[in-house]
Parts: sequence; structure tokens; C-alpha cells
Amino acid sequence: MAPLPHPRFRAMSILLTVAALAAAAGCARSDAGGRGAKDAGKVVVACGATEEWCAAMTDRFTEATGVEAEFVRLSSGETVARLQAGKANPEFDVWHGGPADGFVAAGEQGLLDPYVSANAAAISDRYKDPSGTWTGVYVGVLGFCNNSRILAEKKVSAPRSWQDLLSPGLGKNVGLAHPSTSGTAYTMLWSQVALHGGDAGAALEYMRRLHPNVLQYSKSGIAPAQQAARGEVGVGVIFSHDCVATQEQGFKDLTVTFPAEGTGYEVGGVALVRGAHNSTSARRYVDWALTPAAQEIGPSVKSYQVPTNPRAKVSEKSVDLRTVKLVDYDVAAAGRAKKDLTKRFDAEVAQAPKS
Amino acid sequence: MTMLVPPPPAPVETAPSNRPRRRSRDVGVTVALVASVLLVAVGSVVPLTAMLSTALSGSALPRYAQFVTSSTDLAILRNTLVLGLLVGACGTAIGFLFAFVQTRLAVPGKRILHVVALLPIVSPPFAVATAAIVLYGRQGAVTHGLLGVEYDIYGLDGLVLVLSLSLFPVAYLGMLGMMRGLDPAMEEAAMNMGASRWQIFRTVQLPLLAPGLAAPFLLLFVEGIADLANPLALGGDYTVLASRAYLAVTGEYDTTSAAVYSLILLVPSVALFLAQRYWLGRKIRTTITGKPSGTVHLITGWARWPILALAVFVSLIVVSLYGTVLLGSLTRVFGVDNTLTLQHFREVVLGAGREALRDTTLLAAVATPVAGLFGLLIAWLVTRRLRRAAGWLDFAGTLGVAVPGTVLGIGYLLAYRPDRYVGDLLVLPGLVGGTAIAGGSLAIVLAYITRSVPAGLRTGGAALTQLDPGLEEASMNLGAGSVRTFRRVVVPLIRPALLTGLSYSFARSMTSISTVILLVTPNTKIITSQILSAANTGRYGVAFAYCTVLTAVVLAGFGLIRLLIGGAVVLHRTAAPTGRTPR
Repeated sequence: MAPLPHPRFRAMSILLTVAALAAAAGCARSDAGGRGAKDAGKVVVACGATEEWCAAMTDRFTEATGVEAEFVRLSSGETVARLQAGKANPEFDVWHGGPADGFVAAGEQGLLDPYVSANAAAISDRYKDPSGTWTGVYVGVLGFCNNSRILAEKKVSAPRSWQDLLSPGLGKNVGLAHPSTSGTAYTMLWSQVALHGGDAGAALEYMRRLHPNVLQYSKSGIAPAQQAARGEVGVGVIFSHDCVATQEQGFKDLTVTFPAEGTGYEVGGVALVRGAHNSTSARRYVDWALTPAAQEIGPSVKSYQVPTNPRAKVSEKSVDLRTVKLVDYDVAAAGRAKKDLTKRFDAEVAQAPKS
Repeated sequence: MTMLVPPPPAPVETAPSNRPRRRSRDVGVTVALVASVLLVAVGSVVPLTAMLSTALSGSALPRYAQFVTSSTDLAILRNTLVLGLLVGACGTAIGFLFAFVQTRLAVPGKRILHVVALLPIVSPPFAVATAAIVLYGRQGAVTHGLLGVEYDIYGLDGLVLVLSLSLFPVAYLGMLGMMRGLDPAMEEAAMNMGASRWQIFRTVQLPLLAPGLAAPFLLLFVEGIADLANPLALGGDYTVLASRAYLAVTGEYDTTSAAVYSLILLVPSVALFLAQRYWLGRKIRTTITGKPSGTVHLITGWARWPILALAVFVSLIVVSLYGTVLLGSLTRVFGVDNTLTLQHFREVVLGAGREALRDTTLLAAVATPVAGLFGLLIAWLVTRRLRRAAGWLDFAGTLGVAVPGTVLGIGYLLAYRPDRYVGDLLVLPGLVGGTAIAGGSLAIVLAYITRSVPAGLRTGGAALTQLDPGLEEASMNLGAGSVRTFRRVVVPLIRPALLTGLSYSFARSMTSISTVILLVTPNTKIITSQILSAANTGRYGVAFAYCTVLTAVVLAGFGLIRLLIGGAVVLHRTAAPTGRTPR
């Protein structure tokens, strides 16, 4: 049977397609003007920590202030991409959690509104941006998450320095995330830069030498904890609090060590989204997040980051910052260098064929 | 949104006249066509255009030169193609094996095999990958625990294993309908002339099924290279274009690079699609003619046992993976602390997961009938109604699966995020994001539909190529309009394909992740993104519990769809000499 060439169909379809395309191409308003004025008495949080922590934080905020709070868990890369896409009409009011490097990058792209909370005065200058683009809510220290059973099988002792990590005995037995997606992995990369006196080339050289030992570069910075826990790798390079949390899930073989040369750390940030619809509530959220009460919630949901507010009680499961040698971590410089450095990492390290 | 609404029933009585003139007055077809065009335009063409305008902007052009000169970029391209070919071949082979056992072997336990073959369609691939690592990985319960080897599952072999086992049901369901529709008269004739089973298989069944094999191969190929969750979970250092593009977006905020990678990813998909279509066009096998036909002779000799054993072996692997998911959801930490607990389920059903469960089910339930109907409708328009425009509509309809989900998601963000104005007049409010109408759920439904339509389109198209147009001509010569013919003759005849299309749409919507992960809003939570979040933070028990609940919902959906459509009717073999339909 002959198909039906319908002249009018085709004309109509073309017309429709053109109309749809025109509508799509049509003028998108880029100003959020006027719409941000009204505050609906709720706050929408882009949350960069674990689901449990995010849920606990928003629940307790609502309890404390009566302001409704919703959250979406997003990694720091995803958050910036979505803030960028929603520049004209942001769906989030607050960004809470995740290394401050990402906040710096977002701030540079004009995605955040500076806000200096009255409560920020209590927080050390090391842990906040002077202009108020972001304020630190917790500190996490990079460490080695070791599976002692696997290491015993491999007859390798737990690494205690960055050099130990290069041991041939650890071939394909180091878990590490990709610095493009993971704030954790970027913290590690920048720590190498700091350890090599700011020489990015030397830092990448170290990563190249580490490359044969890396199983795979995972998306999420928390994933290596799982890899180590299940014995997929002997060592995961992650924030020590994530290792402790995994330990608590029932993985008793895990131990934490720190590199002797000095290690990097993250400052988890909180910030206002530019053009936020509920900016008044958002400010209340930021104020609240900096209080000791809010910062003591973490340990109740197995998040053992160190609070930035000196008046907040520190869980005994948190790392003692005085016992670990830290590198001089310049968050602002790390944030600015992020794009170029991850690009170089990708070209020079991650795609190099394994030996 | 008009395109979300099925076309209104068109006037069914059109004046019977001689054929050339009648066509131009067929209002029903016009409505169907307009609705279909609108759907593919809104669902994939517009977002893709938005994405392409980024990919082809001036700043993106140097990236192409970089790509062709960079050995690492070229290795990624090669990796992608190899993965697609292997997944397409293995998945189609497994699907064929199961369909063959189902339709041609006289063995016990076929119902069980059928259910096992359907299992993978209903679960997010991420669960399979995780379970595969737990069972067959370096420290796997089977590989390390039982066999004592340290099998490195990370990389190409693990990806092929997991993807083939996750995707083969598509091939299976398609070929099941196809093989049931295969006219046994040919086989009988060959048998009467003394051909052996193997000869029949090689010279009669295989050529007849060839177009049916090409369709699932194409589908698995493009799904294999577009898959995101598995390369992230166990790709090792085996990088593919989809994960590279995803990394560019989520890690480097570099939509330009992502668009470039996606464009390069599109080329093999499109090339394969066009090649397949050309090949299909040359060898159309009509086996449902409505003419007298014979009965199927099941294989009863010794040859059935090795074939069955192979199918059982594959089934055991599938069952072990899902068993791990189920057990993992009921134990504190599977393999480490095997204390039974219901705490994971409590969180999913009563706690944080409740909203996601409700929203996802609702949105998928809205998307499924629309996608199933449009898949079939477009297939019908393409194979029967259109001439030159057919290729374009078919192509546009397939875009939903040819385009990697992540890229489509970015296209949605770019196209539907902002409010659109002409002058001061709001013509199209934003559809994406928490501030959009209906909490951004409209965009998610649209994404579900767009990603599901190709399944119905493929299976519908394959079924239609087997359907003799004479049946429709007869109906139309008797005075029925096009739409009536479609409804009363075509749809009942290809009901198995419709069932496949609908079931697959629902499962695909419920388990889809790569597109909607970018569209999830605070007001509309989606199960799959919750799973990813749970798995990423190491809460495998919760992830497995989500998967189990999700599987239960999808299976319930299957049952409902089967109830409504009326099961996979075996109508071809009962075709009466007059060619009337059996129901």
C-alpha cells in the first residue's frame, strides 16, 4: 500500500518545528529582578554532604526557627552546574556543605551573594571568606583509609606518608576520586601542589607516579571509603571523617593514618545563592548553620567533621587538628586554579595508559 | 501542554472513495501526525538544538581539532565503540537464546526463565554493577570467596558483563514477539522436505529474524555507549565518551566540551541507525499474512539440553545478582555484618524515601501510556503513512535513546529552564527546576516520555514490518478510516509489541537516571537519584532497599499493563483462513 505524501502535513510539521524552535531560541530573561523580593517562608538547600546529615540539618533548622526547609543532595560540581543553569531563576536559596574551593569557583562566576552573618565573627579567619562569599561550617582532614586485612594479605604496612602510597606493593590498590567531580580528590591534588611549594608540574608528576596504583578514579570523593571497606582496594585517599563513618557502618577492618609530610584539609562552606527567592529565610539559615547547636548535629548522624565554631563541642571521634600536620592550604588560590589544574590532571594523568 | 495529551479520537467515518483522494481528507492521520511531530519537537529536537548551538558555537570549534589530534581522546572513542559492539552482540545473543528457548524448545520451567529474563529490565543498572562487584569482583563472594581468584572486574569485561545482563531483556522481549509471529508454515515446509533442525534454523528462521535481530542490536549498542552509571561504577580506567562528557559537565562545568563529546558520541549512533535502516528497508520479511499457517514444532531431541543449560547458567548469574540486592537490603552490611534488619526498608518506605517513591511512581504512570501510544503511532506513521518525511520522523522519534541521557538532560536545562518571552509576553514559562510550574515535574515527565518512545517505536516498527499491509488495505477498502484501521486492525495484531513497549516504557521511566538526575528538584524527588546518592555515600543497604522497592513497583506495573492490554496474545497461529483477527 502506498504511503501518503501529504503536502499539508509536511508544511504543518515544518511550521510547528520552526515555531517550537523559535520559542526555544526566543528571549530568555536573564534578570531575576523583582522576583526575589518575596519570601515564601521556606528555604531550599543545595546540600553537599551526606543524605543523613542534610536531612538532620534541615529538620533541626525547621525545629529551631519554624521556617520550612527542603534539600537536594548534590556534589559540588553538580551544584555549580545547576546554579549556572538557574542563574536567571534560582531554585536554591542556600548552598551548604562541600569544600570551599567549589564555593570560590562559584563566587568567581557570580553565582553567590556575599553575606557576612553576625555569627561569623566567632569563626576563625582561616575558615571564612573575608567578603562573606562563603563561611566555613566544618573542617575535614585528608587521610588514608586502610583495610588492614587486605594490606596484611599484600604484606604492605599501612601508608604513613605520600611516598609510602607509591609502594609497588599497592598496585591497583589505591582508591581515589577524580578531582574534576570530587572536592575530596581536588583537595588531595592541591595538597600536592602545596607540598611541592606551589609547583603544579611537580604535583602532577607525583600523581603520574601514583597512577599505576590507582584502581579507578571514582566520581564521588566518598566512594574510596567503600572500596577500602569492601576490600576492593587496600587504601582509600579520603577525608578521615568519611573513613570513620564507614567504620561505624560495621567495617571493622578500617584504620586511619595520616601522611607525615603534611596533609590537606577542606573547609565545608555555607553560602547564599545570588537572586535567591527566599533570601530572608536563607540568611536565617546561614546564621543558624554557624551556631554551636547546628554544628553539633553532625556526630549524631555519623558525620565527624570538626566544627568551625570554637564553642561547638567536638566529638571524640573527630580528628584532633593539633595532632595532624597540615599543609598551608590556600582555599582562594585552590579555587581559582581549579579549572586549569583539573584540566591538566585529565590530560596528563588520568588518561595516561597504565603500566 | 498539548503534546502530553493523546490525540483526540478522530472522526472514524471517512467517506469511502477511491484511494488517492481519500488520503488528503484523513483528519485522523493529520491529528496523529501533528501530535507526534509536536512531541518529538518538544521532547528532543528543541533541547538538542539548544545543546547543539552550544556545541557549534565559535568557542567550541577548536575542541574538535584537539579531539582528532589527541590520542587519549581517540582512545576514548575507540573504547566507546568496542563497548557498544560487544554489548550489542552479547545482549542480543542472550536475548535470542532466551527467546529461542521460550518459543522453540520443549523443556520444563520456561515460565521461570521468562520471569528471570524480565528481572533486569526493572532495576537500575547501578544496582547490578554494585551487586556484581560484591559477588564477582576482586573480593567477590563467588570469585574470591568460593573460587579463590582475584578477578579484576573493573574495565571492559566487567562493563560488558553488567551491561549485557542489564540490557538483554530488551532484545529478549522484542524477539519473543517476533519469533511467536514467525509463520511456522515455512518451517513445516522445510521439515517436510527433509531439512534438519540446524538447516531450518540457519536457512529459514535466521533470515526471517534478521531484521528483528538488527533492531535490538541497535538499541543495545546505543544504550551501551550512552550508559553512565556502570562506567562510573566499574569502568576502572576504561573511559568512554558518555562518562567523559558527564565528567566535563559535573566536574569542570564545561558544557562546551561536554557538547563536543556528545556530538562525537552521536556520530556512531546515527551512522549505525542509518545503516540498519537501509538494510532493513531492503529485506522486509512479511510473515503475518492472515493466510493459513501451520503449527510450531518444538525441538524435542537431545540438542535442547545444552541450549537450556546455557540459558539456565545465565539465569543463575542474573538471579544471584538480584538475590544479592534483596539480601543486601535486609542485612545491615551484606557480606560483613549479616544481621537481619528492616531499617533500610523503613527509611525507604516510611522515611526519607516516601516522597521519592510517590513522585516517581506517579510521574512514570503518567508517562507510560503516552510513550507507549506515541511509540506505536510513530512506528505506524513511519511504516505506513509517510513517504519522504518517514525517515525524519523515525529519526526524531529515536533521538530520545540515541542521545545520551546526560546530554538530553543538559539540553532540557538549556532549553526549558528560563522563561521565554516574546516582547513582554510570557509565551513559555520555565519547565525545569524547583521554581517551575508543578515543581519541575513536567520536564521530568517529558524526559521520561522522550526516553521511552523509541522502545515502542522499535518494537512497533519491527512488528509492523512483519504485518502484511494487505490487512489494513482490506479494512480501508471496506470503508474504515485510517485511525479506525489503526485502532481495530493494527493495534490488536501487534499487541505483543504494544505490551513490550508499554512495559518497557514504565520500567525505563522508573529506572531512568542519566537525564532526570539533572532535572530533579527539591519539590520532585526521584528514586534513582536517591539510589545514586545512597550508593555514593556507601549506604548500600539503603540503595539495595530502594532497588527492591522499585522492582516491586515495576513488577506491579507490569501486571497492571498486562491486565489492561490483555497479555501477550498468540494470535498468529490461530489465524483463520479468512484472515480475520482472532479477537
